[in-house]
Amino acid sequence: MPSNRPAPGKAPLGADLVIPALALGFAIYFFFSIADLVWEAKANGVLIGAILVALIAVQLVRLGTRLARGEGDLRADPLWQPRDALGKRIGMVALTVAFIAALPWLGLTLSLLLAMLAALRVMGVRKISTLLWVSSGVAAAAYLLFIATLDSAFPHGPIERLLAALFA
Amino acid sequence: MGRSSGCSRRSSPEPDVTWDILLDQFATQFGLWWVILPGILLGIIVGILPGFSPQNTLIMLLPLTLAVPVEQAFAFMVALYCANHLSGGVPAILVRIPGSGGAAATVLDGYPMTQKGQGQQALVLSFVASVFGGLITTLATLALLPWLSQIGLVLRSVEMVVVLLFGLTLIAVIAAKDFLKGLIAGFFGLLIGVIGTDHIYNAPRATFGFLELYDGVPLVAALIGLFAVSEALVMIEQKLIVAVEGREQAKLSNWSETLEGLRISLQKWWHIVWTAFIGLLIGVVPGAGASIAAFVAYQQSRLWSKHPELYGTGIPEGVIAPESANNGVTSGTLVPMMALGVPGGTTSAVMMIVLQYHGMVMGPQLFTTSPGLAYGVFVSMAVAYVFMIFTILPLARYMSRIVLIETTYLVPIIILVTIVAAFSERQYLFDMGLALVFGVIGFIAHKTNYHVTAMLIGIILGPLFERYLVRALRISEGDLMVLFSSPLGNTLWGLLVLSLVLPFWRTWRQKKALAAEQFGEES
Repeated sequence: MPSNRPAPGKAPLGADLVIPALALGFAIYFFFSIADLVWEAKANGVLIGAILVALIAVQLVRLGTRLARGEGDLRADPLWQPRDALGKRIGMVALTVAFIAALPWLGLTLSLLLAMLAALRVMGVRKISTLLWVSSGVAAAAYLLFIATLDSAFPHGPIERLLAALFA
Repeated sequence: MGRSSGCSRRSSPEPDVTWDILLDQFATQFGLWWVILPGILLGIIVGILPGFSPQNTLIMLLPLTLAVPVEQAFAFMVALYCANHLSGGVPAILVRIPGSGGAAATVLDGYPMTQKGQGQQALVLSFVASVFGGLITTLATLALLPWLSQIGLVLRSVEMVVVLLFGLTLIAVIAAKDFLKGLIAGFFGLLIGVIGTDHIYNAPRATFGFLELYDGVPLVAALIGLFAVSEALVMIEQKLIVAVEGREQAKLSNWSETLEGLRISLQKWWHIVWTAFIGLLIGVVPGAGASIAAFVAYQQSRLWSKHPELYGTGIPEGVIAPESANNGVTSGTLVPMMALGVPGGTTSAVMMIVLQYHGMVMGPQLFTTSPGLAYGVFVSMAVAYVFMIFTILPLARYMSRIVLIETTYLVPIIILVTIVAAFSERQYLFDMGLALVFGVIGFIAHKTNYHVTAMLIGIILGPLFERYLVRALRISEGDLMVLFSSPLGNTLWGLLVLSLVLPFWRTWRQKKALAAEQFGEES
């Protein structure tokens, strides 16, 4: 039966290439960035980078050999599996990006409250009261610790400004 | 530098302390319980939160500590500092998020213990090792202060290069299961650690054009990303942190688990002592810190163990060694500050500001002009540790319950709260984004077995290694032989080679014995 499905015994070696690819990309960028520096400023980086590139080369040879022997293929299953968790993972990362982006405008408390609400929803919490209690509890705790007690330099939004006006 | 050189020419200061002064100090410090207890409480909270270092907290509280009498201010600061070192292990054990760099090595065996349902026991081991490690080294510091202060002068850049190599060899140890992957992760981390301006010319290297990276990669953002965010992304797959087989034990855990943890701690008392002294010796060196101490102690603990292959699977020694060393550092860090006037780290620099504000002049003369205060600092530390064991030990049972919360709730809280905490170290929104980037890299590394701990060791120790190496080479005008120029350095090189060869020799002997046994059975 013709099928695009990989043989069940084959190892998904594609995933093993991601970290070496990232490391190699970074090492190449690193070498470009230090090309014009004096030796004392780049000696350590050159040494580490050269060893890293050599290690990646050995890893590529090792993976290439396994591919040639038919022991594996270029699937990256470990990164996508299990499928039901993939949506939640992407959702959590996207939400965190949105949270960081919204922080300067909405302030810590409100942006954290909204992000917690959305994140719990993404994770599958459906009960409205639970969503509200957990989210507002986390946001309130963050406000009390970071803003009220430690006076961190987090951006202030409508809630911080309102509370500051109330307790001024 | 000039100051320390000046000090080095002085003869070893003779101890001016008497039993009367010490007993008086113990009585005074116990009387300051009302200052010490809030310090401990705040230190525990701050330590549990990744991103909140004791120095940041102490800087924020400077107006308070400058306003009260110096004895009270110091008792508070010391209690906060010690409690902070102790509690960094709590999230490392329970949710695989080290509260600080010093607790990163605790993750290696602490978290697997939690997954087996032994989280409460691991917490007790961590608390007892921290408290007794800290207490023993504090008492040793009191007794040996004049001599300990000289270590900071003996261990120079050359020797520190070798000490750091001891820590870096842990990369190879962690990589034992897949050597190549571990080394790639470790060297990737080391190269990431080189990001930022160099130590001599301030020339930027691989900063991607971001000014925020000129000071190097912020450790807290890397720590939070590689451990907290990546672990939370992995955790999504499970209902609970605890593995299925460990759930019953975690649910049923009661006070007997605390007693069991205490029993194991007592059984391993010698392990606590010698790893604490590693922390003390490393802590005495200005600029070295808890991260190096914890990694070196873990590496040494594994090296001399009869069952090194069990490290990383969740064994008590793997929790005791880093936690004990981590707290052995606390008294050591204060030695160069008190005895030489050179702060051993950022926290002690903040403490020094408070002491100087109150008119105290640091250095050897402090022990003759104000022996009560000079020794009182260490007595205060010892008293803080005594209070700490009674404060935190009963909490282990309740803290360990966190692992029974469903990941549906834990994952959003961990990701969002720790991303918020990433802001705290330098107060840059950039660091929050960076933590997320490290989180994604950590997740990929985690799923493909590229050892995030090896990567983190590189990020933590890499910049320190470069600093000492470049300094040594600068002094020798580029002559590499400077690394083999001191008797102490050469001794350390010998020990390093020994520690690298020993595991191979041990494996060879075991294989030989096994082969002989099999041959005997066959014949």
